[in-house]
Amino acid sequence: MSADALSPVFSALADPTRRAILARLALGESTVKELMEPFDMSPPAITKHLKVLEKAGLISRGREAQWRPCRLEAGPLRGVADWVEDYRRYWEQSFDRLDDYLQKLQGKKRKPHGRKK
Amino acid sequence: MAAKNEQAAAPQQAELTLSRVFDAPRELVFDVWTDPKHLAQWWGPEMFTTPVCRVDARPGGELYIVMRGPDGQEYPMKGVYQEVRRPERLSFTNQAMDGSGVELLEGMTTVSFEALGAKTRVTVRTVMRAKVPQAALALAGMEPGWNQTLDRLGAHLGAAA
Repeated sequence: MSADALSPVFSALADPTRRAILARLALGESTVKELMEPFDMSPPAITKHLKVLEKAGLISRGREAQWRPCRLEAGPLRGVADWVEDYRRYWEQSFDRLDDYLQKLQGKKRKPHGRKK
Repeated sequence: MAAKNEQAAAPQQAELTLSRVFDAPRELVFDVWTDPKHLAQWWGPEMFTTPVCRVDARPGGELYIVMRGPDGQEYPMKGVYQEVRRPERLSFTNQAMDGSGVELLEGMTTVSFEALGAKTRVTVRTVMRAKVPQAALALAGMEPGWNQTLDRLGAHLGAAA
């Protein structure tokens, strides 16, 4: 997933209350009423947060008029986790290549435990 | 509980430190970090090439590196050298940009080279700061706690799917 596609997800997640809502939803789907209790927020305030999360594709909501349970959606969060992992891997792999390159410069053979090309 | 921990604000700054011992003398290892001819040979992830590698390794000098992924997408990175002390230490700012050139993150990377006999320990420490609010979460993701949260969410959803 590109950084562009992740922008709405990042901005939805930049808010601690919204992250807490997601953590709560990781335990299972909830109604707005159930979500309101631990956060001590008014219905309009919580609804506003839910709308941002829904727009970012992080949650979906049921169609039942009264109940409308909220549930977590996996895809965008996976994208965020991948992005972070990519950054770590970027340095790990640069180190691997640096190691190979230094061996080559010095005219050494790869050590037996080295990665096979 | 989880919900309480997650109340903490997303950090605007995060650190990543990696260290490895290379079987080469310190001067050589330092030089392959500062000479563009060498740098272009190893910089970036596996399967990436480095079509542009402009490096002026002296304090105030600029670096501009474009990496090209296996899918042809290019990832530009630019920065300015702060400290260049052969053979023990190197530091530079680095900016990560998205495809349209918008700066997402700004980092300060310090590379130290420690002689261990004929070998060299290289330690890279990057402190990243979010340039845009959207990047703050990416930094939060570098924190172990938040990663675990993501793992948990992922596992939960994997099970539900």
